[in-house]
Amino acid sequence: MVDELLFFMEVLVGGLLAGTMYSLVALGFVLIFKASATFNFSQGAMVFFSVLAFCGFMQDFNIPFVLAFILAALLMVVVGLCTERLVLRPLMNASEDTVLMATIGLGYVLEGLAQAAWGVEVRRLDLGIGDFPVPWIADNLKLFISALDITAGLVAAIMIIGLFLLFKYTKIGLGLRAVADDAGAASSIGIPLKHIMLLVWSAAGVVALVAGMMWGARAGVQFALVDLALKALPVLIIGGFSSIPGAIVGGLIIGATEKILEVYIGPFFGGAIEGWAPYVLAIFFLLYRPEGLFGEKIIRRV
Amino acid sequence: MNNNSANILDIKNIEVTYDDVILALHDVSLKVPEGKVVALLGANGAGKSTTLKAVSTMLASERGKVTKGSIDYDGNSIQKQNPSQMVGLGMVQVLEGRRCFGHLTVEENIISGAYSRKLSKGDIDQELEKIYGYFLRLKERRKSQAAFTSGGEQQMIAVARAMMAKPKMLLLDEPTMGLAPQLVAEIFNIVKELNQKEGVSILLAEQNTNIALKNSDYGYIIETGKVMLEGSAESLLNNDKVKELYLGISKKGRKNFRDVLKEESLNKRSN
Repeated sequence: MVDELLFFMEVLVGGLLAGTMYSLVALGFVLIFKASATFNFSQGAMVFFSVLAFCGFMQDFNIPFVLAFILAALLMVVVGLCTERLVLRPLMNASEDTVLMATIGLGYVLEGLAQAAWGVEVRRLDLGIGDFPVPWIADNLKLFISALDITAGLVAAIMIIGLFLLFKYTKIGLGLRAVADDAGAASSIGIPLKHIMLLVWSAAGVVALVAGMMWGARAGVQFALVDLALKALPVLIIGGFSSIPGAIVGGLIIGATEKILEVYIGPFFGGAIEGWAPYVLAIFFLLYRPEGLFGEKIIRRV
Repeated sequence: MNNNSANILDIKNIEVTYDDVILALHDVSLKVPEGKVVALLGANGAGKSTTLKAVSTMLASERGKVTKGSIDYDGNSIQKQNPSQMVGLGMVQVLEGRRCFGHLTVEENIISGAYSRKLSKGDIDQELEKIYGYFLRLKERRKSQAAFTSGGEQQMIAVARAMMAKPKMLLLDEPTMGLAPQLVAEIFNIVKELNQKEGVSILLAEQNTNIALKNSDYGYIIETGKVMLEGSAESLLNNDKVKELYLGISKKGRKNFRDVLKEESLNKRSN
């Protein structure tokens, strides 16, 4: 009995921590959705682009870890700058659908550039954190939990707290929330949209880099990272597209349920249900709570 | 530095087109003397909002363009400016329909108006107190989410937010739309007070001709993108045609100035 409970705990905790990895990817989407009200299809490509550049700096140029991270982050700011200048600004008066299509195109450009610059082979990324159980926890709590999962959880927590403080208490955060509510009114009182867009796309780029580092360390830095974007979709549907806490909670829910379902119900379906179970969950949310758990409800006075 | 410095805003014969084809303004000229309230009157679609947006340069974001004429603000052409630069120069527009940031609190809404200014936390608090002095109602509701406040309060938020930018000139687009008469009076009292105590020049677009003229110094009446009549507020209030067409003291079936002009020319011919 105790063994079974311990096993359940292990599955649950492992799932929750793995879920934070999804949250990290979803976070990038939320940032851009808040400011541009558009789903950024290039977010997956940004993850791939940023972490491949990071690996390239470290492995091809022997740049130390911290410096490579700073360079890759700066590169993502440049990508944000170019996106604002070359894609968003010319499309300022275009419909949201047009911007959506533009992000798909942007994704292909980033994928192509990344592979042209750094090659197509799978790279191994060693963060110095192993993807195996932490001995101390295994000995004392009898739970086998990966060190990488714990790190991802911590990193996600730090980024969320940071972003929360940025939005809630800084001037530019107030500007961003104003733009998210009504871009026209924001510009009428002198909030420069281009600065806000630049900030948001750069922040999403850095978030993509961090998410890419975590996923790259687990699964190798490879083209498949682009499809991570698809894993973030159910997270966003459950948590709400415009909510940072939603991205976190959504990630946790997806992580935990997919692991629990896989272990306890998977055998009846011949296994491997964690690949599609999250999407089924997402469909239920779309049917019964389309704004997600934390999405901003459309406020209507009566 | 300029002969026209008595006029903070000087619009000369502007023509505005949307999407390069739709002609919204044919020929609008108007002046706003420094420190005065000028009313821009007319029915729906007459071109009031378009005129205001031409001045605040917000036309560009709606695919509109000033294709003829000139607009001078504070003695300089506004041709090369964008909305946030105009705010920096002290020209702020309060858009039609209030447009508050619904998910932000009342106070956050007002503070956001100071975005273009470099103020310390202490300065912002001081400015806030000053603004709350005009909008007492908002102070009580400072922590509520703006979307849950009443229409009148939202209009006050929009004006208070604009005042946080420390404007020399305000463009108010139908501030009383859809408000109860008591609130209309309250809003106009505040506008008048801001004009007198803060010295803000005001260009006011309104459909509510009567109350707008009673609170203005000068008025322009536009119809289908053209200025049809202008004069001091008092003279317009006493003008028979204005009374008939805009103040609801109507006789016969005439509906606008074009009808009046047509009738007059017919009368001349028959005489």
